Amino acid sequence: MATMAHEQHPALTHGEVTRDVVATLGPPSRGYVLMLGGAVALFLVGVITFVALLKEGLGLAGYQPPVMWSVYITTFVFWVGIGHAGTLISAILFLFRSPWRTAVYRATEAMTVFAIMTAGLFPIIHIGRQWVFYWLLPYPNQRYLWPNFKSPLLWDVFAIGTYLTVSTTFLVVGLVPDIAAVRDKVSGWRKKLYAACSLGWTGSDTQWRHYTRAYLYLAALATPLVLSVHSVVSWDFAMSIIPGWHGTIFAPYFVAGAIYSGIGMVFTLLIPLRKLLKLEHLITEYHFDNLGKLTLLTGSILFYAYAMEYFVAWYSGNTYEQTTFYLRAFGPMWWAGWTMIICNAFVSQLLWFRKIRTNLTALFIISIFINIGMWFERYVIIVSSLSNDFTPYAWDQLNPTWADWGILAGSFGWFAMYFLLFAKTFPVVAIQEIKEMIPMPRKRKGAHG
Amino acid sequence: MADDTPSNGINRRKFLTVLGVAGGGTAALSGCSTDRVQKLVPYLVQSEDQVPGIPTVYASTCTECAAGCGLHVRTREGRAIKLEGNPAHPINAGTLCARGQAGLQGLYNPGRLSGPMARGADGSWQELTWEDAIARLAERVGGGAGRLAVISGAGEGTFADLLAEWTAALGGRLVRYEPFDHEPLRAANRQVFGLDQLPSHDFARARHIVSFGADFLETWLAPVEQQRGFAAAHGYRDGEMAKHVYVGPRMSLTGMNADEWHASAPGTEAVVALAMAHVILAERSGAPSDANALRGVLAPYTPEMAAGECGLSADAIRLLAREFASARPSLAVTGGVAMQHRGAVEACAAVNILNYVAGNVGETVRFGSRLPAADGYGALDGLIATMAAGEVGVVLVHEANPLYAVPKARGLADAFAKVPFKVSTASVLDETAAACDLVLPNHHALERWDDRRIRAGVVGLMQPVMEPVMGSMPTGDVLLKTAQKIGGVMARFAAPTFEAHLKAAWAELARQRSASAPVFWMEALQRGGLYEAPPAPPGVRLAAGAERVGYTGPDLDGEGALVFLAYPTSMLFDGRGANRPWLLENPDPVTKITWQSWVELHPDTAKDLDVREGEIVRLVSPHGTLEAPAYLYAGVRTGVVAAPLGYGHTEYGQYAKGRGANALDLLDGGAGRAFLPYLSTRVRLERTRGYQKVAKTEGNPRQLGRHIAEAMSLPLARQGLDPRQAHYAETGGTPHEINTERELEAIAGFAAAQQAATKLGNYAGEHPRWGMVIDLARCTGCSSCVTACYAENNIPTVGEDEVLRGREMSWLRIERYFEGGEEPGEPLEARFVPMLCQHCGNAPCEPVCPVYAAYHTPDGLNAQVYNRCVGTRYCSNNCPYKVRYFNWHAYNKTAFPEPLHLQLNPDVTVRARGVMEKCTFCVQRIRGAQHQARLEDRPLADGDVVTACAQACPSGAIVFGDLNDPASRARAAAADHRGYHALEDLNVRPVITYLAKVQHRTEA
Amino acid sequence: MRKLALLAGGTALLLAGVGWAVRDASSAVQTSAAGCDSLTAPTLAAGDTARLRGPRQPIFFRHDIHAGQYKIQCQYCHYSVAVATEPGIPSMQTCMGCHLVIGGADSASKAEIRKLREASAQQQPIEWVRIHYLARHAHFPHMVHIKALGPTACATCHGDVTRMPQVFKVNNVNNMGWCIDCHLERTVSRDCSVCHY
Repeated sequence: MATMAHEQHPALTHGEVTRDVVATLGPPSRGYVLMLGGAVALFLVGVITFVALLKEGLGLAGYQPPVMWSVYITTFVFWVGIGHAGTLISAILFLFRSPWRTAVYRATEAMTVFAIMTAGLFPIIHIGRQWVFYWLLPYPNQRYLWPNFKSPLLWDVFAIGTYLTVSTTFLVVGLVPDIAAVRDKVSGWRKKLYAACSLGWTGSDTQWRHYTRAYLYLAALATPLVLSVHSVVSWDFAMSIIPGWHGTIFAPYFVAGAIYSGIGMVFTLLIPLRKLLKLEHLITEYHFDNLGKLTLLTGSILFYAYAMEYFVAWYSGNTYEQTTFYLRAFGPMWWAGWTMIICNAFVSQLLWFRKIRTNLTALFIISIFINIGMWFERYVIIVSSLSNDFTPYAWDQLNPTWADWGILAGSFGWFAMYFLLFAKTFPVVAIQEIKEMIPMPRKRKGAHG
Repeated sequence: MADDTPSNGINRRKFLTVLGVAGGGTAALSGCSTDRVQKLVPYLVQSEDQVPGIPTVYASTCTECAAGCGLHVRTREGRAIKLEGNPAHPINAGTLCARGQAGLQGLYNPGRLSGPMARGADGSWQELTWEDAIARLAERVGGGAGRLAVISGAGEGTFADLLAEWTAALGGRLVRYEPFDHEPLRAANRQVFGLDQLPSHDFARARHIVSFGADFLETWLAPVEQQRGFAAAHGYRDGEMAKHVYVGPRMSLTGMNADEWHASAPGTEAVVALAMAHVILAERSGAPSDANALRGVLAPYTPEMAAGECGLSADAIRLLAREFASARPSLAVTGGVAMQHRGAVEACAAVNILNYVAGNVGETVRFGSRLPAADGYGALDGLIATMAAGEVGVVLVHEANPLYAVPKARGLADAFAKVPFKVSTASVLDETAAACDLVLPNHHALERWDDRRIRAGVVGLMQPVMEPVMGSMPTGDVLLKTAQKIGGVMARFAAPTFEAHLKAAWAELARQRSASAPVFWMEALQRGGLYEAPPAPPGVRLAAGAERVGYTGPDLDGEGALVFLAYPTSMLFDGRGANRPWLLENPDPVTKITWQSWVELHPDTAKDLDVREGEIVRLVSPHGTLEAPAYLYAGVRTGVVAAPLGYGHTEYGQYAKGRGANALDLLDGGAGRAFLPYLSTRVRLERTRGYQKVAKTEGNPRQLGRHIAEAMSLPLARQGLDPRQAHYAETGGTPHEINTERELEAIAGFAAAQQAATKLGNYAGEHPRWGMVIDLARCTGCSSCVTACYAENNIPTVGEDEVLRGREMSWLRIERYFEGGEEPGEPLEARFVPMLCQHCGNAPCEPVCPVYAAYHTPDGLNAQVYNRCVGTRYCSNNCPYKVRYFNWHAYNKTAFPEPLHLQLNPDVTVRARGVMEKCTFCVQRIRGAQHQARLEDRPLADGDVVTACAQACPSGAIVFGDLNDPASRARAAAADHRGYHALEDLNVRPVITYLAKVQHRTEA
Repeated sequence: MRKLALLAGGTALLLAGVGWAVRDASSAVQTSAAGCDSLTAPTLAAGDTARLRGPRQPIFFRHDIHAGQYKIQCQYCHYSVAVATEPGIPSMQTCMGCHLVIGGADSASKAEIRKLREASAQQQPIEWVRIHYLARHAHFPHMVHIKALGPTACATCHGDVTRMPQVFKVNNVNNMGWCIDCHLERTVSRDCSVCHY
């Protein structure tokens, strides 16, 4: 334990930890302001696009029947996926008592919440009559009408709803002691805010006893969600009969993909954030090394899944399946197909090398590849399968328009905006838990005599 | 209803009084917003034949082409909402083609003029009162301001007679002009049989049909009648069907329905026909005695000689001749625009000879039926000359658009401009009207009293089915009023209105039949006209001219490497269809292109020229140039380049103006000819670097061995095989079960469970199970059902840009798949599949809808509840047939500009933006019939419900009915051994059964 | 954590509450049909119409007199209700059929009838204010309901117009649950596509 602590955080005292973390909440640097500005700008692009969609209809987007789902659903799945890494790291690794998570889990957990918040917008954005989206919710009404519980889309509503609630709770509860710690270090409006948020935390033994229990239970509650939520999302596709969607492998395939993409996003966020908020000695190579291993694992699972998809398509002898996968690799969308395979299946294999796992620049570049690759994975699965399914006469290719990209950009803006604000307002590193790993301060040698 | 629809141009008040409480047809699906103040406007005087909510049907006659089909005009609350065939009519027997149905959009065309107009001094248009307008006309024609010339496209009938007398009385010259007149046919009949008339053809009785470039399913003579006959003869029944062979450079829709297509060189039909006659005379004795006199004439036309000319093999010609002669009776047809080259007369003469030696004349080729014919291009050509010479003072153009239909090379525009006073009666500002000084818009045929002499014994009546949409006036009235204004000799045209004049003429008809005039008139009006048995055909013998038959080869001008072939499409006809959104959006049956004109190239030709599909190519002939995107089509002979007629209007309303290129621009004017040669020039093809995506509705033209469009050869069909057995019989494979024993059990168990589940609550008890059977052996792909569906179900037309995005809304589409034609020598085959919602018993679209907008009704319909739909579009993704259509934009706001919105069917919700829609099996008709039966306390009988598509289909290929009713036609038809379901292996249990097409090929 | 649980539970309850509220409202409207015993005094000046429920009509036509006092069958004027989907608004001709001779008892009614005669003389249709307006994505075939419920069933939906000097909306005909209630009671089809197509 102690040794591990040492290799994570060489020679840090509790005071230093608190100081460093509190420092992150100081006045924003220029870089931070720029990034926040950029995020807000992107978000506005999204807002404008959405207003246009409301006014003119989904026709503004590049939908080209039979491709009835395209960029929006792609981005939806992408964001849901991003969320998963957070819960995995904060909940599962917590239960497994893997100590290296502590430095990063807070950030990843925040990422989860904001990713789900982003994803949650898409079911509304992408439907034809956005103003009646609430018909998807089961509520008693004078028409005696209920939603169709057989529809995977409805399962989605519940999956996302649950996930958002649980991960938010988890994040908030986890924050309490830290906020309290910060509360005692700051002044002004922040003090008021934190005082309120820390729910009167004093750090008494009873509080700690209840706190740790609650945290444990929440972790236990969140854990199954990592598997269930993205399985449900994958069933949006797997439950249909469309060649390229209709696969039993989809649930594990998507969950692995989700975690893979999630960690990719963790890299993309943490590496700059670490610099920006000067957390170099709290979040160290050691953490990235471990995250890298996780990436390698999930990336390899994806590799296997891709291979399986093609094998099954060939082995099934099902002409529709075969055509779809042939066209995926050599059809009009070959470029997207290969982007996904290279970025996910191949690039992840670089992480076999410790040198790369510990080289932040390399990791950052790889993480970008992962993000792109995972977005394209969903794009390929959704669009290429739809563009050429059962009836050849109806085949057609998608041509996305500004409205597609506008919403995509907006979603990134929306996400980044929240994340940056969070990073400046709340401790992105779990103070308490890091402290737990640091040996109690001892008397110096030769204090006397 | 009408008060929340804006009003411009139309006298709304008049409408309201007529409409009364019109139903919610024009409803946008605007939630339950009922707070707007609605007005209820009562009738002033209740017309006894109008009950709100109940359609009133008037009999009338179609004027969209010269065939003169009978109409039933369905009206609701005083406005025509749909055109259907008149079941009593001898020509179309209750069916109607796409063009005929689109006549409704002629009535409600947004381009219609609101009243008479005259050119002011500054050249701008000025609205006139009718009194003023008629005064001006009277002054010019009566005032002897120079000789009067009249160009009229009005078919034979009381009006045409009146116009003739009127013109004559004014010492004027009348030219009756139809762009697609069949001059060569008549000339050939004059030459060979000494009869100057058009024969009628009995396709139904023919056992072997050879068409030499005659597109009898599209535009030649009476397409609907011929299609009915063709379906009867060529449709497979109890092991029997006729054979159809098409000889011509381009595989038209008619060619696509042939069992064999012989791509002969352009302009060589004559030599093929003569060679066939030669073989028959040489080998058979059956020919009429006087035919033997032709042996000498035919001697030089051996199959070998012909083969050298036309590019067919001598054996092929010989075989064709033998089959043709051995099947009695057979039928050879030719003529029509696509083959109208300078040698057309000799080609028609040659085919006459062929029919004669095969003994078909009097059997399948009948004379004496007096089909209508105009004066021919020669007459117009003469008039153009006199106009050019400045000898015409006043020209009146009625129901004709010569400035569009005559090639620019003839210089008509200049000649026309030389006429000091030009009058048009066009109700839409077409090219000719735009060049006139006075426009007196005529009533649409559905707004006025009129009649048509269609053929011997058949006279069609037309009556006003509703208040006039615009401030137009029937030209008959204009003529009479003008005459009365002029007075003098003209005073004898005393009838107050044309209606009175018409009734007088019919009283005369009654007198001839010694019937009481009022009764006779009333009966005729209800029936839709006078339908009497055709007179017995006269005995026909060869005339002296028969000796002069021969073949001189095509005479083409120009130096280019490619022969240019201009053909009329089954949608736009002579160009009059170009302002009808229904026709522009209904894909051309052959190319599946909408809203655009195009240039057809054989893939090999394209490869040589390095042209890709969609590349804009320029065709250059000695007479002009044409630019359009290229479309690669293996159905045109290499070395031939084809382009459709009817596009490239410079006027004629918002839909037609500036759309596509006019193929006539490449042709020579045919000065001094009796007819206009359409296949007359070679062209040079130049590549422009431009590109335009072709707005076609097809994705992949091959079905990749997926069992969507099935076909089997006649011998296999005779063995009573089902399509799968036939498939294996041909490929030599052995049928293997797709599913294993266990899987089959599972599926059966699943089906049983489903069955049990469908007996709960609302679904318990006896229900009909609505189903459909589509016979692909009868379907010709004519697409009349598509327009019928648009009309019945308020389907919006989305326009070129949206079609380019693949967003056309046609609930019913005709999928056209090609087979073969890839390796040289392999015959190219086209198959048509009407694809609509299959109302699957195990529908994939239903479980995925999160709000139950897509669900299964107790009577087996796959319903779509528009007002519940939130638009997730999952149903469409999960539909294997891709027959669900999404409202990407507010098409309901853009597709029906006034007064087009009046065509909307009040029984069908107009879908708003953001909802999914699809074929409903015309559920409004089902519910209507059920309600009626309920009122009459009787069960629903087979045939009470007919869907719009089944009703319109001229081939009778579609049967709709209750599959639970053991007596229903649909159930019987579905049991046919040719029956199969599209994509059967998906186990979605479609309720639509297709009957496999049957190919009548000669196994070499 | 407990707070959150409470919050979640509360929201759920709230939703349910709202839902049922809406439902009850609909049935409440239905029952209030009986409660419309608004003044049936035979003399009412046009000026008084402002006090009456329901929108003001261009002519103060009194169903309570025509249908109530004189017991004229609904179908005499609404001629197509038993045969067609549309009930049929009486033509001016129908009105004048009686009012050529009937000029009205008191001054108030005389005035109203004069309006009618003038309009009819000028061939001007009277634009009545529509009271029952069914959303256009729902189809209500009047004739089948008359067939099933009898010629006097009009009141089921339109309330007892024989007691209405000025007709007002008794039931919200766009209240689908209300249609369903009736269909449930009489165990007739509840299939969506019976009304929605």
